[in-house]
Amino acid sequence: MKKKYSYLLTTFLFLIILSSCKSDDDDAIYIPTPEPEQVSPVVFDLTAVPYDTLSEYNFFDGDLKNQTPVYGVLPYEPINTLFTDYAHKKRFVWMPNDVKATYVEDFKTLDFPTGTILIKTFYYDNVLPDNTTKIIETRLMIRKESEWIFANYIWNDDQTEAVLDLTGGTIDIDWVEGSITKSTSYRIPSETECLVCHKVSNTPTPIGTKPQNLNSLFSFENGEINQLEKWNSFGYIDNTNLPNASQIETVVNWKDTNESLDLRARSYMDINCAHCHIQDAHCSYRPIRLSFNETSNPDNYGECVVPDENIDNSLTHVVSPARPNRSVIYYRMNSTNESVRMPLIGRTIIHDEGVALIEEWINSLTTVCE
Amino acid sequence: MKKITLLLFISLLTFCFSFAQDSNSCAQAAPITPNAIYSVAAVDGTPSGTSCIDAIIANNAEWYSYTPTSDVSATITTDLPASNGRDTRIQVYTGTCAGLTCQGGDDDDASGFLSTYTFNATSGVTYYIVFDNRWESLGFDFQLTEAPIVVSPITFTSSFLGATGQYKNCVVDMNGDYLDDIVTVDANNLNIHYQQVGGGFTATNIATTTADDVPSWSISAGDFNKDGFNDLLYGGGTGASFIASNATGTAYTVTSNPEYIFSQRSNFVDINNDGHLDAFVCHDVDPNVFYLNNGTDNTLVYNQGGLGDSPTGGNYASTWIDYDNDGDVDLFIAKCNGGGAAASARYNELHRNNGDGTFTDVSVASGLYDPVQTWSSAWGDYDNDGDLDVFVGASSFTDGQHKLMTNNNDGTFTDSTPGCGLDTFTGTSTEHITHDFNNDGYLDIFTANNTIMLNNQDLTFSPVNVGFSVGAVGDLNNDGFLDVYNSNNFIYYNDTNSNNWIKINTQGVQSNSNGIGARIEVHTTNLGKQIRDVITGNGFRHMSSLTTHFGLGTETAIIKVVIKWPSGIVDEILNPNINETLNVVEGNFLDVAAYSLGSKLIYPNPTTDFIQISDVNLNNATTLIFDINGKRVRNYAIQNNRINVTKLASGTYFLTIQEGNNLFKNKFIKK
Repeated sequence: MKKKYSYLLTTFLFLIILSSCKSDDDDAIYIPTPEPEQVSPVVFDLTAVPYDTLSEYNFFDGDLKNQTPVYGVLPYEPINTLFTDYAHKKRFVWMPNDVKATYVEDFKTLDFPTGTILIKTFYYDNVLPDNTTKIIETRLMIRKESEWIFANYIWNDDQTEAVLDLTGGTIDIDWVEGSITKSTSYRIPSETECLVCHKVSNTPTPIGTKPQNLNSLFSFENGEINQLEKWNSFGYIDNTNLPNASQIETVVNWKDTNESLDLRARSYMDINCAHCHIQDAHCSYRPIRLSFNETSNPDNYGECVVPDENIDNSLTHVVSPARPNRSVIYYRMNSTNESVRMPLIGRTIIHDEGVALIEEWINSLTTVCE
Repeated sequence: MKKITLLLFISLLTFCFSFAQDSNSCAQAAPITPNAIYSVAAVDGTPSGTSCIDAIIANNAEWYSYTPTSDVSATITTDLPASNGRDTRIQVYTGTCAGLTCQGGDDDDASGFLSTYTFNATSGVTYYIVFDNRWESLGFDFQLTEAPIVVSPITFTSSFLGATGQYKNCVVDMNGDYLDDIVTVDANNLNIHYQQVGGGFTATNIATTTADDVPSWSISAGDFNKDGFNDLLYGGGTGASFIASNATGTAYTVTSNPEYIFSQRSNFVDINNDGHLDAFVCHDVDPNVFYLNNGTDNTLVYNQGGLGDSPTGGNYASTWIDYDNDGDVDLFIAKCNGGGAAASARYNELHRNNGDGTFTDVSVASGLYDPVQTWSSAWGDYDNDGDLDVFVGASSFTDGQHKLMTNNNDGTFTDSTPGCGLDTFTGTSTEHITHDFNNDGYLDIFTANNTIMLNNQDLTFSPVNVGFSVGAVGDLNNDGFLDVYNSNNFIYYNDTNSNNWIKINTQGVQSNSNGIGARIEVHTTNLGKQIRDVITGNGFRHMSSLTTHFGLGTETAIIKVVIKWPSGIVDEILNPNINETLNVVEGNFLDVAAYSLGSKLIYPNPTTDFIQISDVNLNNATTLIFDINGKRVRNYAIQNNRINVTKLASGTYFLTIQEGNNLFKNKFIKK
């Protein structure tokens, strides 16, 4: 029975190939001719980038502001994203022909080939007074031969072009988030500010593009596909050492209340805190380690750890179980003071939902500190 | 029968007693006796409406009263078995229910989140012991025990100020009366508590235009526009703003600079020694920046480079001091940088002023090139041997420990940490400052864990927990003992002792307005010579008084005070009064009569190569030459009692010769 089925299948496939070949005016009907390979229309000259304007790259079809990617520019989204004053983001990846990223570890960013471009556009919806969408900036990380470089493109008011500017700046935005009007002095980072977070051992690095963050379904044009599988099938990742999706230790979506509080909090801290609080990063001299693969050990997230810096005598520990008001991590997340708030840069207002999560999580902890 | 009546009477009395005094308000405070254990069922009474330990007012409290029958050291503790796992707070007041005065209190000094508070209680005085529910309302046990009076080497009394500005980091004189004021800041407002002559403060709000930057990372003060009133610098997360006084110190103009700076410690200092204050800002993630005063309209012009150029920054606290006793300000940078082995920017730096506006990096040669992660260091002459030592305080022990480096007076430093008491001190802090808090004539170190390390006068230090953390330091009641204004909005007044003191205000004329960078010496018989440099911006975040304070211990007289101004002028004040403030205007203690000596002193004039001065031995004098703009020049030499000016550019110069207390000034022309 099984054999017969397999025979039928083979016949069926043969017929398909045959029929597809029939459309070609070709006599060699047994050798399928590959479709002419589609070429990405992205304009890329490693020696000339960063270009002066975003449009020069030709990442997008049609109106630039619609951010409709051309062939080769793949949209993606990490499972969790950094909170940046409620800005929305669209992300894309592009690589030159015949090169691929390689897997390193679940918790390490993919090793991208020279020429890779990571594209991230920051925008707000329902921007007042007219409830419009306003794109603020598109940040690129471009993998040059020696290391990554940063290129930031600031959008014009007409939303028709974005111009290279690495000096940073501030822009006031009022918008409606849900039903609440919010305001921020949105900070566009300078090149130096980019490096504050995007570095390990003082070498520039991407943050979000770790297998643990990409191992999720994403709605592509032809349906939902696991992002790593999509990158694999598209030729953007080398599958020789890429584990199966089920074998990758993956973060949970911190908003998913079906997941445990512990996993949600650790996943939240991973994307919002771990870029600085890991070995050899910006704040590596502090004892906490907040990457997802390290926070299974409570010492690393600072449970019962006395803080190095005394902000207030009542803050007894980095994380004081069941006592958010005694916990530095909660206090800092709940502050807008530049020298107190965490993350240090990237936000100017409080992430209410994130604070609520961390409060609930701390309240759930039961260890008794010495 | 009689016995039964008495018993009934006592029972009734007890009943009435406990009924009347339910501990739920001040009026109902239940008297307690030493050693008995009391159980609080729940914290649900009337709150005191204040807190003696922070600015947080709890919703409910329980009240007890205690009246010792002799002078004792009383300790209240909730650290008893039945309190296990609870989170308590203690406040202690004196006075009456209508007018309570804070004695003090504690939150967490016992195990876990329990509390213990020890204070010296006076016989017959009633103390109100209040437990509040800032953290929780659950019940617990407590006990009061008595012990013989213990005299702590240094104590402070707290007083809530109620300043309204968000940033509470600044103690400095703002209205030119040389009394320290308290400045709290919002982006569009200065909330200033002016210290009054008779004590106390008067609060004033002065609205400003909105500064782009707020002093979240640091604040500095100095009179950069040289009008007699201090101006401010706000070091913010993305830049620096300057707040300049008007001519009467009653309004301020904000200038927010466009340059991106991840500010850390900032200072006002006359970097190029032209008599006008410049501004320096440590950059966390880029080379340091500084703003040079153009000296005409006091515009501060942005510069970057040459004063700590690590590409990835790591600059946390700059201190401008004269480590090599050559009369100009050098720059030490306390550094911190993540990144592991790659973090070369974490090594501390020392930049020697070459005297001509250039600096040489002598970090390695000096022995201060150290990877310890530090956010601030405390420079002072800890052993009173005439040169400045440094306590490099660790913010983290990841890359090294606290270090006490003593100055060898030859450009190098010796690690004197082992056995000094700071080697075994395990607290870490971003703030480390030095002052003489007990006026014994030796500099102490205020560091982590609410601890002042008192100088034992032998390069060792002993910790005293004062119950509050580093803040802005000044004399906030003008009693000659240093007080602290903490960002929790409390003033901690020094409880003083019998030691003597002197405070000195420096008003520059040729030098910058505050005399920042001046070296002050105080000579006394037994303590010898004490020295301080006038600095802005010590520690990491705060601005402390620009009045220079010296403790004198039991010295009852001062032989002399010597002020070596950045201009090179030296004022000597013989036998000034102790326990007073000495205000010195630059040059005012020189022999004024000597000014009238005529041009015949200098010959030839004009000159091409040499100047000679009649009747002056240049080897015993201080010789200074200023250009027409008042900027000091140095490219001359003294040879054979003549001044070699061959290297000076053509032009008009002012020559100043100081011999003892005589100052000679003359113009000369270099052809």
